[in-house]
This record gives sequence, structure tokens and C-alpha cells, in this order.
Amino acid sequence: MIISISLRRALADIRQHFPTQIMTTMVVSLSLLILTFFCLFSINLQHFVERFGNELGVVVFLKQGIPQERIPILYQKITGLKGVEAVKYVSPEEAFKRLQSYLKDEREVLEGVDPRFLPPSFEIQVNRAVFNLARIKQVAGEIEQWPEVSKVQYGREWIDRLEAFSGIVRKIVAISGLLLMLTAAFVVANTIKLTVYARQEELEILRLVGATNSFIQGPFLIEAFLQGLAGSGIALSIVFGTYAYLEKMLGASSMFKNFELSFLPWQYVAAIISSSVILCVMGTALAMRRFLRL
Amino acid sequence: MREGDAPAIRLKGVSKRFGLGNLALADIDLEIAKGEFVFLTGPSGSGKSTLLRLLFCAERPTSGEISVDEMNIGTLSGAQIPLLRRKIGVIFQDFKLLNNYTVFENVALALEVIGLRPDQVKKRVKQVIEGVGLGTKLNRKAVQLSGGEQQRVAIARAVVNRPPIILADEPTGNLDNKRTEEVMLLMEELNARGATILFATHDERLYQNTHRRVVRLEDGKLEAAQ
Repeated sequence: MIISISLRRALADIRQHFPTQIMTTMVVSLSLLILTFFCLFSINLQHFVERFGNELGVVVFLKQGIPQERIPILYQKITGLKGVEAVKYVSPEEAFKRLQSYLKDEREVLEGVDPRFLPPSFEIQVNRAVFNLARIKQVAGEIEQWPEVSKVQYGREWIDRLEAFSGIVRKIVAISGLLLMLTAAFVVANTIKLTVYARQEELEILRLVGATNSFIQGPFLIEAFLQGLAGSGIALSIVFGTYAYLEKMLGASSMFKNFELSFLPWQYVAAIISSSVILCVMGTALAMRRFLRL
Repeated sequence: MREGDAPAIRLKGVSKRFGLGNLALADIDLEIAKGEFVFLTGPSGSGKSTLLRLLFCAERPTSGEISVDEMNIGTLSGAQIPLLRRKIGVIFQDFKLLNNYTVFENVALALEVIGLRPDQVKKRVKQVIEGVGLGTKLNRKAVQLSGGEQQRVAIARAVVNRPPIILADEPTGNLDNKRTEEVMLLMEELNARGATILFATHDERLYQNTHRRVVRLEDGKLEAAQ
């Protein structure tokens, strides 16, 4: 009964105070828009850093003249390492062919050279989920200790730089995200407080005619719930529209062809919607508290 | 008051002090019988509104005991206050209407809070609004009405749930003579139907030639009753 009355009164109130409702919803969505854009930016930046790190493959060069029967044993050893997705053996002949095709028109410089002069090697592809930059470094160091291995190449300098960069990015993202969240919460809570204060006379009259606190609060909380839902919905739609547009633009540009954009994971979307709703409902409940005493 | 009948309103040794400031009401003893019409008079600032606010629990007394329709206000919990207010119709000088609501919606509010079905609300609200002579203005917004009409809407809201007690705080203060007369007739009619009325006013003309009991507040103290 109380829910149906509250719903009916909430809908009537929305009609009655339509401009105020729109204004509050816009404030909610603008505050969340900044936060949502920031999330999209930080997620793509992190993805970029990770992808870049993972594209740096690991190449294990073996010593010249290593007995052929050791190759399958080493192959098994590398495949058995946690996080290794694929291993490709590159024989000296295969390496020679690659060099020839790399040199193209100047391949004659290799004439008379023994096709077995290059060392055999393994090219390792790592699992992106398991292999972070620190793990690549650790595994490379481990393999380097094996007696059959002459050198492990994995772009050590790049990995060190990327590690430092992604560490800074993570810190910036955490601090700015927190600040933006606090700003959004502050703006939304204060806007709601003002809208509740603007209807203070209505609250007083409702109390006067014997309305219970739940009767008074019900429609306000339903309105706050809808504002939170609509505000976050608008913010997410705008960010999604921008994301779709940027993705289309990047796809069409030859310069950024390999640059993949990703939208917010569903957990982020759910967190943005639920925190917006909670913020609006809690803000309203707190702002109303002082009018519901006595 | 018949012997054995509990009074509609009883104040015993009631005082009210706001913060550390002046005493707004000092040691008030007052009993109003069921069905009685009492004028509460006194100059502005004498404590009339404070006394009424204590009765509908908008304020709590600093000391003393208050009972309204056999409910002891001192022991009421927060959740019981709405139940007390449903037994009291309050009318103010400034009407306290929701300006953007229609006449119907303003009056219906008092019935919606007690959970009456929409069809019952509609029937009873129409009846009461016709009773105060505004049957043709049901769908007008409160802000579109004259002062006298707004006060009649406020009276309709105060009585629509048939409360046994009506508290009127200077209800004619903003009205001309003709509208004042209309309001007084409505109040007499409500009293004739059995409502207990406590009518606060500083306008002597309203109680000069009346047979009703008049109690006077002066600087927060109750003076001898007429």
C-alpha cells in the first residue's frame, strides 16, 4: 500500500517539480560524466601499457653446436613454465631464411656463408593475464641460468621503462579517481540537499497533517533513485557514444590502425550506476533527516 | 464537562523555554472539555502560538504535562506523533497550503496520509470542499485563490479526516471582515458537530459578545478566565 502510494506521489511530484528534477539529474550526470570519461581514459591507458609490454616477446638464444636431442627437452622445459602460451623453435636454417628475406635485395652479402652460422633459438609467447612485466624479467633471468642458453632477449630497457611508467599511471589513476569521486559525491549531495530544502514547506505540511516519516520519505527516495539511474544512464550513454565515435575514427586512420580502444568493463558500468543511485538515495535521506525530527 | 469525562486538552504546570532565553510559557494550567469552543487571546508574543505548537507536538515542553484526547504527549515516541496529529486539525494565519497543488490535492493530502482508498478520498474531499463553498474550484491551484478562499481550503484540510480537536492560530489575521465572518461561521458549525476548538486570536471583536470561554495569555502566563 505504502509503496503504491509512494510511487503515485513520486510520479506526481516529478510532474509537479519537473524543472528541478531535470536540473538535479543533469548535475548528477555531469558530475558522473567527468568520472566516467576518466575511467575510460585510464582503462585504455592501462591496456595500452599492458599490450605494449606483452608485445615485447622473449627470445632464447641457444649455444652453437648444442646436441639436437637437447632441443625437445628444452622445448618441454620452456613450455612447462607458468604463463608460457606458445613456444616456437627457430632452427639456424630458419633463422638464415629470415635474415635473407629481411635483407631483400642485398641478400647476396650472405653468399658463401654457412646457413648454420646463426644460433638456434626459441621464441616465447606469454599469456597476457599471467605474465606481467615483472614476471617476464624473472623468467628471463631464470632461463639465462640454463647451461644450453647463451642469451635471453626481451627488451630489458623497455620493460624497465614501462614498469616505471605503469607504476606512475596507476598512482595517478588512483589519486585522481578518488578526487573525482569525492567531487562528484560532494556536488551531487549538495544539489540534492538544496532541492530538499526548496521543498521544506511541503515537508512541514505533510508532517502537520499526520504523515509518517516513511510516507514523507518514500516519494523523495523513489525520485532520488530515478535521478541516480537517469543521471548515470545519461553519463554512460554519452561516454559510450564518444567511445564508438573514437573507435570508428581510429579504425579509419592508417596511423592508429593497430590501436584498439576498449569500453568500460561491465563491473565498472555496474559500479557507476549503483554508486550514483546510492549517492542520490543516501544524499536525500540525509538531507531529509533534519525535517523528520519531532 | 460531564463528570468522569476526560478533557480534550489538559495542560498541567507547563513551561516552555527556548534555549537559555526567555520563558515563552510559564506554569500553564488549562483544561478544555470535549466539544468546548475556547478563545485563546493575548497580544502578539504572549505565547499563544507556542501553546498551540506544544499541543500538536511541533515543540516539546520544558516542564509540565500535556494530554490531548487522552494521549500523554510527554510519553509519545516519534512514531506516535503522526497518530496524535491525525486527531488534531490545525489552521494557520498563513494557510500553509501547497501553492502548486490544486484545491482537491491540498485537501486530499490529509486523507492520503491515513491510507484511505483513492475512491474514498475523492468522495470525502469533494463533500468537504463543497461544504466550505468551493465546490466549483476543485481543480484550481491554491495560488490562484483569494485569501479567504485559501483559508477555507485550509479549514477543509484541517477537518476532512474528522479530527475531534481543531487548533486555529489567528486564522482570520489575513482576512477582511466579510471573510472573517465566513470563517467564524464555519468554526461554529464544526463545533456544533462536536469538535473541540481552541481558537487563538488577538482580535477582540471576535470574542467581545460571545458566550464562549476566553482565556488570556500575557507574557507567557495565563490570566484569569472569563
